[in-house]
Amino acid sequence: MSAADLPSGDNGPDGTEPPSDDLLAAELVLGVLDSAQRHSLQARADADRAFAERIAYWEQRFAPWLSDIEPVEPPARAWTRICQRLGWKDTDPTSSNARGSLAFWRTVAAFSTLVAVVAIWMALQRPPQPPIAGPRVTQERTVQPVTPLWNENGTPGWLVSIDRSRGTVLVVPVPTRPDTQGRTPNLWVIPMGKAPQWVARVSPDMSETVTVPSDVRGSLVAGSVLAISLEPPNMASAAPTGPIVAKGSI
Amino acid sequence: MLEASTTSRSVGQGTPLEALLSQVALGNREAFEALYRGTAGQLFGICLRVLAERSEAEDALQDVFTAVWRKAAQFDATRASATAWLAMIARNKAIDRLRSMPARKARTDIELAQDLEDPGASPPQQAQAATDRVQLERCLDQLEPRRRALIRAAFFEGCTYEELATRLDSPLGSIKSWIRRSLLQLRECLGP
Repeated sequence: MSAADLPSGDNGPDGTEPPSDDLLAAELVLGVLDSAQRHSLQARADADRAFAERIAYWEQRFAPWLSDIEPVEPPARAWTRICQRLGWKDTDPTSSNARGSLAFWRTVAAFSTLVAVVAIWMALQRPPQPPIAGPRVTQERTVQPVTPLWNENGTPGWLVSIDRSRGTVLVVPVPTRPDTQGRTPNLWVIPMGKAPQWVARVSPDMSETVTVPSDVRGSLVAGSVLAISLEPPNMASAAPTGPIVAKGSI
Repeated sequence: MLEASTTSRSVGQGTPLEALLSQVALGNREAFEALYRGTAGQLFGICLRVLAERSEAEDALQDVFTAVWRKAAQFDATRASATAWLAMIARNKAIDRLRSMPARKARTDIELAQDLEDPGASPPQQAQAATDRVQLERCLDQLEPRRRALIRAAFFEGCTYEELATRLDSPLGSIKSWIRRSLLQLRECLGP
């Protein structure tokens, strides 16, 4: 390789003219920049969303190369040190391996099942196609994002899918034992920095689509938290009184 | 491992890794540990690829997971898959560490024609990753072979322009120009 192999460099990047943001992002992801340049571009990405998106573009494009790299199991002390660095009390390194990987796969399995259940359920809910007569109007039905609500112990407890156009939410529970005190689950939405707003009483063991009160619909946006609390059957809907049993952010 | 995310990306936060990340963002330590158990091997492999020294790679792995704990809320499933996001954090932390090492041991010269060229068969990936892979390889194939090898070398070894110039015994300006032109060509092929 020598300079003679290169194009003349009179009409493109020749190492002297300032590169575009896209090219800078590509250089950052490729890993050819020095420490100072990396830090200044990373700091810029924290504040500049468009630039962060350029970086994400190149990261996604080069990601396949990283999945080619053979996994290597790190030593058990690595987890202990991470916990120490985060200021957590030491976890038991001998048992956590087996327990942790089991917990991971359990969570994965539980979640995959939930996604499948919702997919099937939503397919069944699809309205029947009207008979073809005259100009055919196809009904647009976009895939709704699913928000998982998690139990205290980290297992998925509920799935909520919001249909903003209809002002409804589909609520899918993972059946659990009924509450010993006879309380029923209630769905709340907690907008960022605000008090919880009551959405609906929901079934503990059956999927259902509930209509959201019109004054609460505006709160069903990214950043809000959905939560399930257990309430007495005759509760007033002003504020949750019972324990929050599951929650997740939209 | 990272292949765990097999469900479709079209279902919002549908993959298990993405769901775990959203839990980590809420401060759920159990989800964080589950994420660690499921991905640490892959991410440690990435650190070791950049930092040949094991103790350095271990330190980088700690950097990776402390960053994941703090930055999980920044993960945006519409911009990147969880797999790619985690892998790139690992690579970035490893490169940052590599750059901060006082005296980097020079590795052997880059063998542009060999070794670096053929990644070999990869294990089955999720559908999106498979599409990304096909596209990346197709676009790389359009580069002149030595440019392609240079891009791979730069990526896998985390070399700066200066280091590449030294190792290839070529002027810095030429190396920059060569890589930038390759990146622009790739960009054109990869599309928006």
